[in-house]
Amino acid sequence: MSGGPAVRISIESSCEKQVQEVDFHGTETYVPPLSMSQNLTKLAQRIDFSQGSDSEEDGADGEPRDREWGKQETEEEEGTVKFQPSLWPWDSVRNNLRSALTEMCVLHDVLSVVKEKKYMALDPVSQDPNTPQVFQLISKKKSLATAAQLLLKGAEKLSKSVAENQENRRQRDFNAELLRLRSQWKLRKVGDKILGDLSYRSAGSLFPHPGTFEVIKNTDIDLDKKIPEDYCPLDVQIPSDLEGSAYIKVSIQKQAPDIGDLGTVNLFRRPQKSKAGPPWHLKLEAAQNVLLCKEIFAQLSREAVQIKAQIPHIVVKNQIISQPFPGLQLSISLCHSAGERKSSRASPEKPKPDDHLYVLEHNLHQMMREFHKQQLSSVVMPHPASAPFGHKRLRLAGPMAYDKAEISSLQQGEGVLEKIIKQAKHIFLRSRTARTIDSLASRIEDPQIQAHWSNINDVYESSVKVLITSHGYEQICKSIQLQLNIGVEQIRVVHRDGRVVTLSHQEQELQDFLLSQMSQHQVHAVQQLAKVMGWHVLSFSNHVGLGPVESIGNASAITVASLNGEYAISVRNGPESGCKVLVQFPRSQIKELPKSDAVQDAKWSQLRGPHREVNWSKMEGRNFVYKMELLMAALTPCP
Amino acid sequence: MEAPPVTVMPITSGTINMMEYLLQGSVLDAALESLLHRLRGLCDNMEPETFTDHELVYLLKGQQGNPFILRARRSLSHPTAPWHLRYLGQPEVGDKSRHALVRNCVDVAASHSLPDFLNEMGFRMDHEFVTSGHIFRKGAMKVVVCNVSRVLVPGNTENTERMSLSHLVELSVLAPAGQDTVSEDMRSFAEQLRPLIHLEKIDPMSHM
Repeated sequence: MSGGPAVRISIESSCEKQVQEVDFHGTETYVPPLSMSQNLTKLAQRIDFSQGSDSEEDGADGEPRDREWGKQETEEEEGTVKFQPSLWPWDSVRNNLRSALTEMCVLHDVLSVVKEKKYMALDPVSQDPNTPQVFQLISKKKSLATAAQLLLKGAEKLSKSVAENQENRRQRDFNAELLRLRSQWKLRKVGDKILGDLSYRSAGSLFPHPGTFEVIKNTDIDLDKKIPEDYCPLDVQIPSDLEGSAYIKVSIQKQAPDIGDLGTVNLFRRPQKSKAGPPWHLKLEAAQNVLLCKEIFAQLSREAVQIKAQIPHIVVKNQIISQPFPGLQLSISLCHSAGERKSSRASPEKPKPDDHLYVLEHNLHQMMREFHKQQLSSVVMPHPASAPFGHKRLRLAGPMAYDKAEISSLQQGEGVLEKIIKQAKHIFLRSRTARTIDSLASRIEDPQIQAHWSNINDVYESSVKVLITSHGYEQICKSIQLQLNIGVEQIRVVHRDGRVVTLSHQEQELQDFLLSQMSQHQVHAVQQLAKVMGWHVLSFSNHVGLGPVESIGNASAITVASLNGEYAISVRNGPESGCKVLVQFPRSQIKELPKSDAVQDAKWSQLRGPHREVNWSKMEGRNFVYKMELLMAALTPCP
Repeated sequence: MEAPPVTVMPITSGTINMMEYLLQGSVLDAALESLLHRLRGLCDNMEPETFTDHELVYLLKGQQGNPFILRARRSLSHPTAPWHLRYLGQPEVGDKSRHALVRNCVDVAASHSLPDFLNEMGFRMDHEFVTSGHIFRKGAMKVVVCNVSRVLVPGNTENTERMSLSHLVELSVLAPAGQDTVSEDMRSFAEQLRPLIHLEKIDPMSHM
């Protein structure tokens, strides 16, 4: 708009309310506007339900008119028919109300008619939901039954086939069993017989026993009866002298007083370990074991007869007896219990299983197998090829002009019997040494003896470290440490200070030696203690030449003096005579001092005087070194 | 100084009176592999050994008709091994049922101066040949599978020529006299090698 200041325009609504009256004061009283309910009432009064019926009739007429005139004018016609300007907002309300009224009237009429029960009656409808459930159950049951039958049929077939399989396995084919046998044992066919070889010949044995067994078909089964559990279609027939079981018994006993007293046959059954396996396998294994035991025994007896020993070996029936040590007897016997039946001649004495040295029996088996292996492998093929088999180095003996010493060194070393005797000696010596040390340890409490056996041993040598200590003073007094090497016949003792002593197999020697070492230990302990306590060692001797002669070893002695020289302790300890402790006091403390003209000066009273013996058994203390420590402590004056 | 007494009695024990039991056969080179496999399975379980030997045959012609034959053999694959001198006697004419050829056999190991020694003794070398092949053993039995080659230039073992396209197979056992079970074992072992090879006793005299 063109310029000029803005003009304020105020707009005011026209007065809507009618003025009812104007007061004297000029106050206008308006007609109160209609409230909501008043308004509604006013509008509702305008509804004419009778006209509504007319409108319905009009509507009914309107419909055929609609159909006649077609679609073009349908909308206009419907619009014109239904539009009634005075009733416009209430038109639908009125229609709905009228239809509701109609419905209610109808319902009321029906109910009143039914109530009379003359023209209309109410009948309940049958309950259908129950019957579908029952029907479903039956059909499901039927289908399940069919499925179950199928499964059962199948299961029956399976179980039948499994049972058949079991039958077949038990009723194993002879050929299948033969195949199994062949996979473990050597078989060959000779004519129409099947023979096998259970000897160790292919492993290098030279035993002349052929060791052939025969395989036979087990046909004595009754097909009608039930087949027993342990039925086997195959059976082996072993040579009659290999039946039963055998083992080699090696034992060490005190010597039998008379040769004529030697027991003859030792037959006792070792408890059988139940082994799993086909019966023919067990039978063949047992027979092979018997063969090996026979071979071992034959080899041992052959050597026993051939080898010239200082004390000849005795071979009696099934025993070989030799004397490893005087007063001791080693017996190696072949115990063969033939057949399964209990032997009627039961041995009179109860079998003592502790007697049997299982280690040596095992070693015998091992040595025989080693011999076999050596037979096989030691023979190298000869070059040139036409040369006979034999030891390669022995063939050089001729061209190289070996002398007898060289040839004998090439020959086989010691035989099996010698080896086993050496091993038995060693075992016996070792157990006796252990027994000696243990008895000493349990008998003597002061000083203590400890034995540490080495875990790794040889068949011919073991070692043990023996420590002699005093309880409570192990760190101070550890000068006696002995290393014992137990050999076949001797014990070599290596002392800590390097001395080597060789003891024989006599038990007494070892015991005496240990006792003498224990007595030496006490004196050594005093020496070490003196170092700790600060006392001076005046003299020390491992083997004193004075005093009574000991039957075991020598006595040792030591003299120690206190720091200020006032007191001195002298100890003499012998394995047999025990310990003797003397103390020297300074002259000033002795009461009955002989007066002498020569010794006038007072300073001479500072010197040590005569000795006085200590009542050692009454002394307080758990052991010797403890007592000695207390004594030294008592003699050391407090500052 | 008298000479020490010498025993006049012949020595009959020790290695002097050993008999060699022998069975021989031959196999074509084409069938050699299968034979070796079979032998490997039948014989003792050791690594198969091959060998190459050079054999010289010496003759001592005396006044009588039959010359004295000694065989000297050395290994070419093991040059430091001693020489082997062998005397083979006449085959024993025993009963015909004995399955193997039996003849007296004396084996001696000798140093490397053997050819010179034999020459000095008066032996003359008749022929020589080189054999190479495999050697097996089963217990006391020895099986030798070898091919024989001719030496073209005497003394030169490098230059050799195969004599035939087959291998010679010999099964032999050295045993003291009088053990007849040996031939039984040999025959049963030979049975196991059929039909690859037929080992039989071949009398050298009948072929001459």
